[in-house]
Amino acid sequence: MTVPALILSLLLAFSGFSALALSLDRHHRAVFRSPVSQARIGSLRAAGWSGLGLSFAAAVTFAGWSFGPVQWIGALTGAALAVVALIAYRPTSLRAAALAALPLAALTLPLALMR
Amino acid sequence: MSAGPVGARTGSMRAYRLAVAGRVLMAGIGGYAVAALASALLALILPGARAEAVSAALVASFAIMAAAVVWVFAAPTLGRAALGLGFATAVLIAALWLAGAFQPGGAA
Amino acid sequence: MSRPRSFRQSMAWLHTWSGLVVGWVLFAIFVTGTASYYRTEVSHWMRPELTDAQADPVAAATRAGAFLQRTMPDAAGWSVMLPSAGSPAVTVYWWRSFAGPFHHALLDPVTGERAAVRDTQGGDFLYRFHYELNLPPMWGRWIVSACAMILLIALISGIVTHRRIFVDFFTFRRDRSAQRGWLDAHNVMGVLALPFHLMIVYTGLVTLSAMLMPWAVKAAYHGDLLRYYADAGIMVAGRPPAGHPGPAMPLGEIVARAMAATGETPELVMVSNPGDAAASVTAYFEEPPGLAHLHPQIAYDAATGAELGRVGEAGAATRTGAVMVGLHEAHFAAAPLRFLFFLCGLMGAATVATGLVLWSVARAPKNAAPEGLGLHLVRILNLGTIAGLPAGLAAYFLANRLLPVPLDARAEWEIGAFFAVWVLAALASALYPRPLAWPMALAVPGLAFLAIPGVDALTVGEVRFVGFDLAMAAVGLLLLGAARLAGRRALARYPVRTRLHGTAEA
Repeated sequence: MTVPALILSLLLAFSGFSALALSLDRHHRAVFRSPVSQARIGSLRAAGWSGLGLSFAAAVTFAGWSFGPVQWIGALTGAALAVVALIAYRPTSLRAAALAALPLAALTLPLALMR
Repeated sequence: MSAGPVGARTGSMRAYRLAVAGRVLMAGIGGYAVAALASALLALILPGARAEAVSAALVASFAIMAAAVVWVFAAPTLGRAALGLGFATAVLIAALWLAGAFQPGGAA
Repeated sequence: MSRPRSFRQSMAWLHTWSGLVVGWVLFAIFVTGTASYYRTEVSHWMRPELTDAQADPVAAATRAGAFLQRTMPDAAGWSVMLPSAGSPAVTVYWWRSFAGPFHHALLDPVTGERAAVRDTQGGDFLYRFHYELNLPPMWGRWIVSACAMILLIALISGIVTHRRIFVDFFTFRRDRSAQRGWLDAHNVMGVLALPFHLMIVYTGLVTLSAMLMPWAVKAAYHGDLLRYYADAGIMVAGRPPAGHPGPAMPLGEIVARAMAATGETPELVMVSNPGDAAASVTAYFEEPPGLAHLHPQIAYDAATGAELGRVGEAGAATRTGAVMVGLHEAHFAAAPLRFLFFLCGLMGAATVATGLVLWSVARAPKNAAPEGLGLHLVRILNLGTIAGLPAGLAAYFLANRLLPVPLDARAEWEIGAFFAVWVLAALASALYPRPLAWPMALAVPGLAFLAIPGVDALTVGEVRFVGFDLAMAAVGLLLLGAARLAGRRALARYPVRTRLHGTAEA
């Protein structure tokens, strides 16, 4: 239950939730000023759920089966709150933030592995 | 989020308030009674060690009470709510009696 | 309610009204409970005289035993919390009956006398308020439990009522009407932390389950709670007093045996029937890593030091209950996870607060009509609780620094400051002019929290408290931010107030 492991979980959940939010027409319009296409809904949802899945995998890998799920659910709440805040106050930066979270997650991975 | 019959006549307003009070009382007292009886019954009939049965009964009891309360408020009429709760209580008491909870010296 | 309605309509009604009747108490329970995640840190800050000197647990236990022997030799029980890195003093409790009262003192581990430390309840006051509301313990616990059950009902009915959980999952429309904004905020806070809300309310009930639902133990154990605890592997079996006095080893000797047997220092030793020939001492050890709240325990004969027994292995159902208690208290959580729990607790308080405000906003008269008595009362109670309680909390911390240290009954004065300022802030907020009521009511606790670091720097001024002071400043800024948000809405509407009077101020 190290700090990097929790941050990794948070970043992956944040990217995942951003993709899921963008798969909803209302938020897609707010961010891209265009309706979301059917094909895009499918790929965004797939990306979103894989983000949440990877976040769960990271939590369980680094924190074990007892703490992992608890930590993951906490990370989900924190990440979703960040997505909601971005959509409400800085919708145009959601895409960039969600994409930036991925390389950051990759950078956190070795730190999480160190312990 | 309707707050009740706006502009209703005084008579029906009173009936409405009585019905609400009835459900609140029934949910609180009846819901607790059902949960208490179910928890006692589970402690006696669950398989495995006696302490384990008691632990399971303790953990489950609040879910049972919540379900009973939701039933009381979801039932279409006050009578139906009372009927459902009365039926559950009767069945639980009968089962407890069968499990030997009321014999002198008790089950265990 | 009397005519047939759809399931969702009944649940919407149930959610609205169950939430309203207990909302104010729930808000206080959520806020003090959330603060209790940092109970140790609060206690540290409020007792600045204590420093982190590691003391020898064996000698400390012997001295504590001697203190208790002098204080109440014929007690029903003594408990000694040994010094640790987390709490450098020795905390002792003693009681004549399990019904209370429980006396307590902080001892200096080196001298064995009462520690030279300002009289305060520290974080324990917030912790106990969370489940006893500062009422007689049994009353407080039953009231809090009833509120918790009603919250559980409100959560279930809220889930049923909220029909578009996924579509509205990320929705917070701050640019629409005030009512829409409050509804979105209520939904977002409630839904995003829903796993936490469900967990915290259910596990809270489980924590008090032996008191709330004694019927399982009555049916299967004839009400013998201690025997159930021993069977289940929760506690080590006790033994009845012999009825005649007997000798006792120094308490430190038994602590030394417990350390030799396990290689660990016990957290706590509890003496049952001290002075009796059948007195026993139980050593409690720190929970092994994991979620469950199950302390390893060894019982010793107080006279000979012979081992009487160890706590048994808990089965799956008992372990499930213990995990629930563990999740509620979150002792297992290291700093980052603890912060997430803290955040979720704040979101719980925010869910309750936004729900309460939403109730009054949704019912505000649409034209210049005067607001009814009920609505007026709800609005005043909302202001008094949501803005008043934080003011009381800030006063509690400030009183700790500002009251003279040798003051008589100082701990009671601190608690008095908490309640007095809460009541004053609530009364004042009832008198603020309508459109500015929320910004003014929220700015007061905001400024008070911001004052804490300054007051601490002037009165105590130690580097080790900088973290706590920064946290207090952050809380203050958060409250000021909320005041600004509320003020912007009010000011935007101010020029056309005559036309829109009372449309949406909460």
